[in-house]
Amino acid sequence: MASISANGTGQDPVSLFEGHRRQMIRDRMVVNITLLALFLAFLAWSVWISRFTPERLAAGLPRIFEYFGSVMPSLQWDVLFESRNEAGRFPPGSVGFWYNDFWKYLTLIWETILMALTATLIATGLAVILSFLAARNTTPAPWVGVAARRFLEFCRGVPEILFALILVFAVGIGPLAGVIAIVIHATGALGKLFSEVVENASMRPVDGIKAVGGDWFEQMRYGILPQVLPNYTSYALWRFEINVRASAVVGFVGAGGIGAELSHVISFFSDDRVTAVLLLIVLTVTAIDLLSERLRHALIGKEALK
Amino acid sequence: MNTLAFAAITEADISAVRKRHPKAFGNPLVTALKLGSWAFIIVYLAWSLHLFEVGKLFNASDRAWQLISRMLVWRDMETWQYANIYRGIAQTIAMAFLGTLLGTIFALMLAFFAARNTMPGGVIRHAVRRLLDVFRGIDSVVWGLVFVRAVGLGPLAGVLAIWVSDMGNLAKLYSEAIENIDRKQVEGVRATGADTSRIIRYGYLPQILPVFISLSLYSFESSTRSATILGLVGAGGIGMIIIERFRAGLFDQVAFVVLNVLVVIAVIDWGSGLIRKRFIGERGH
Amino acid sequence: MLEFKGLTKQFNSTVAVKPATFTIPDGQMVGIIGRSGAGKSTLLRMINRLNEPSAGQMLFQGREITALKGRDLREWRNECAMVFQQFNLVGRLNVITNVMSGRLFHHGFLSSMAGVFSEKERAFAIRALDRLGMAHTALQQTDTLSGGQMQRVAIARALVQEPRIMLADEPIASLDPLNAKVVMDALRAINQQDGLTVVCNLHTLDTARQYCDRIIGMQDGVIVFDGTPKELTDKAAREIYGAEAEEAFSEALTSTALRPGAVAPAASEARVVN
Ligand SMILES: Nc1ncnc2c1ncn2[C@@H]1O[C@H](COP(=O)(O)OP(=O)(O)OP(=O)(O)O)[C@@H](O)[C@H]1O
Ligand SMILES: [Mg+2]
Repeated sequence: MASISANGTGQDPVSLFEGHRRQMIRDRMVVNITLLALFLAFLAWSVWISRFTPERLAAGLPRIFEYFGSVMPSLQWDVLFESRNEAGRFPPGSVGFWYNDFWKYLTLIWETILMALTATLIATGLAVILSFLAARNTTPAPWVGVAARRFLEFCRGVPEILFALILVFAVGIGPLAGVIAIVIHATGALGKLFSEVVENASMRPVDGIKAVGGDWFEQMRYGILPQVLPNYTSYALWRFEINVRASAVVGFVGAGGIGAELSHVISFFSDDRVTAVLLLIVLTVTAIDLLSERLRHALIGKEALK
Repeated sequence: MNTLAFAAITEADISAVRKRHPKAFGNPLVTALKLGSWAFIIVYLAWSLHLFEVGKLFNASDRAWQLISRMLVWRDMETWQYANIYRGIAQTIAMAFLGTLLGTIFALMLAFFAARNTMPGGVIRHAVRRLLDVFRGIDSVVWGLVFVRAVGLGPLAGVLAIWVSDMGNLAKLYSEAIENIDRKQVEGVRATGADTSRIIRYGYLPQILPVFISLSLYSFESSTRSATILGLVGAGGIGMIIIERFRAGLFDQVAFVVLNVLVVIAVIDWGSGLIRKRFIGERGH
Repeated sequence: MLEFKGLTKQFNSTVAVKPATFTIPDGQMVGIIGRSGAGKSTLLRMINRLNEPSAGQMLFQGREITALKGRDLREWRNECAMVFQQFNLVGRLNVITNVMSGRLFHHGFLSSMAGVFSEKERAFAIRALDRLGMAHTALQQTDTLSGGQMQRVAIARALVQEPRIMLADEPIASLDPLNAKVVMDALRAINQQDGLTVVCNLHTLDTARQYCDRIIGMQDGVIVFDGTPKELTDKAAREIYGAEAEEAFSEALTSTALRPGAVAPAASEARVVN
């Protein structure tokens, strides 16, 4: 028992530890400095290629504030809730004046929500089928699985608005192009999520249904679907929230909803109409988020109790 | 008890079983409710598709085929101005990077004002949260259009658009991360007699930093996607090239550009996944 | 009559079942024993083709089972029901739907996708459940049942298939002795009253001795014993189980505690009924 050190070389454990520590810090420093250098180089390259210089930003900022100043409504307290006067007009400074086109906007917002709802329903249906084809554990044949996965990747890789642009050319201006565009993109996104859920599901019930003589559809319907349904519902609700945002935008290329009006208002007027539409959109989106979040939590909560 | 063949079951047998186990034959109310909701969904779909003039789809086949064939057959590939295309893609990535970076920096500050445990005062917290709702509730393309009006066409508007929408998204996610912090670790640091700055440095930061980095990387990935379409409203990047060539009817070039963008996005996802792993280990976020 | 002609199964490099040739006459209750990894499950799962045989033939009443495809294959699976060690029920569906799923083969596409079952099927399912003392749980969600109850539901599902053969892959391996006895009694009753052929993988020797007409012993994919329980001497058993013999025998001791027919049916077991 000459030494308490167990490292065999008889070195002082403290100095050994310190040596290790120094080595580790040095290694880490090298990696971190390299990363930092890469980061800075990337930053410099980004600034150069997008010509995002401080001068440009400095020149732009006042214009931004100027613009937002011009689109703010000029509300006056004394006439705020005034109704139409004898000439049938709202007095300037009232909410009625600000939202002169309220019913038009509301109709368009309604159309936007319907587009999102229809698209979500169809996309969910398609994604359910595709997820069973794409999941590695349930795919009827390996090549079908590969094909389905590639297809889903393509669908979710291309943004809705691009599909909408192309579809407007094919089917004409109007909400149909928007709905189809959202369906395609949402099918891709949901299909991927769904197939991940399927891959985590138990295969025992599937074996059970197979042993009963059930075909592939019955194996999915009875063996997998009951297991994954709560997750599917929750994802579909979440996707609905995203689709509402998307359907508010596809109108930019003429694919229906409030987007066309929004882009028109922003492009041609810089007055309080811009904030009127924007505020309405924000309120709608926030309300739907809250509602769907409640529903999702209720669903998950019910699951947790079981 | 003896065996019974399915084929031999008579009406009398059914009613005998029904008498003993009435509930097993299903609750008519539940059945009606189920049928009703399916019927509702189907009627809704039929109605809404009718409203959206789904019939146009069947008249569109000519144009659609024309479009698809012109996208698939690539002509005059030597005149495609590749330098322009790749500069556009580079600009898109740069816009996404700068926007996410600025969004991250500002979200870092806003998040602490929006989190319940770091901002107990209700008024400021709620005000900040509503502001974040506005930033998030408006799509980045809309912000793009707004900023194009404010500062003119070009990538500056794009950077601003991503900055604002990322700031809204990230601040909300960050503030949730701060609220979900493990209090025990903070108390452990406090118990050593540390002052506030040290509590933040050793109690909060080690917990939230990996989450923040991972969220920002995710945000960068999704910003690259949204940056590709910002150009559609004139806010710089590859989207401007896409819409120019689309309007000019050069569908084969559009298909080529979109394919390139898909590849670049896949590469970025992969790279950011690598970095995420390096910073936060395999467990991911 | 179920005939095996050199039926073989190979997984990559391991041969799980080496060419097996034997015959099972109608109405026999056969127990397959052997240590873990001997190939019992693989052999059983080849019978209803949940595992594809790599070589050899299998015939039922002269029909070549190994050549079946598509709908014919599913019809065969419907004819030979299987009961699993882990029950393989759909946990999130209720008991009666699980039992009725045994009749899915007879359904058209639409009615099975819509989950519509006829009154006749309901009555039949309730009868099957009743036979196993489980009718009172018909509307309960299946994953709230105990293991023994689930296995009885699984047997009820197998019964509504109106099978000609019943396969059971270690049906009692995850059950306590009392439930194990209930399940084995049920299988034996099905064998004797309905005249079904029952092929049953078993972990415990004494269970096989008690319930089966015939015992097949497997070792490393080879059938090393085939005879009546009487012929299965201690020496023969030791050969089947090899080095694990001691363990297997002590395991067997635990389940000899219950004799067949000694316990009242478990229908009285208290459980909340919806
Ligand atoms: N899907 C598979 N892939 C590869 N090898 C397999 C597979 N299934 C079984 N095996 C192998 O085949 C052999 C026989 O397995 P089997 O499950 O039939 O044994 P068993 O007798 O049922 O054992 P146990 O009593 O533990 O259930 C084992 O060596 C096993 O590792
Ligand atoms: Mg086994």
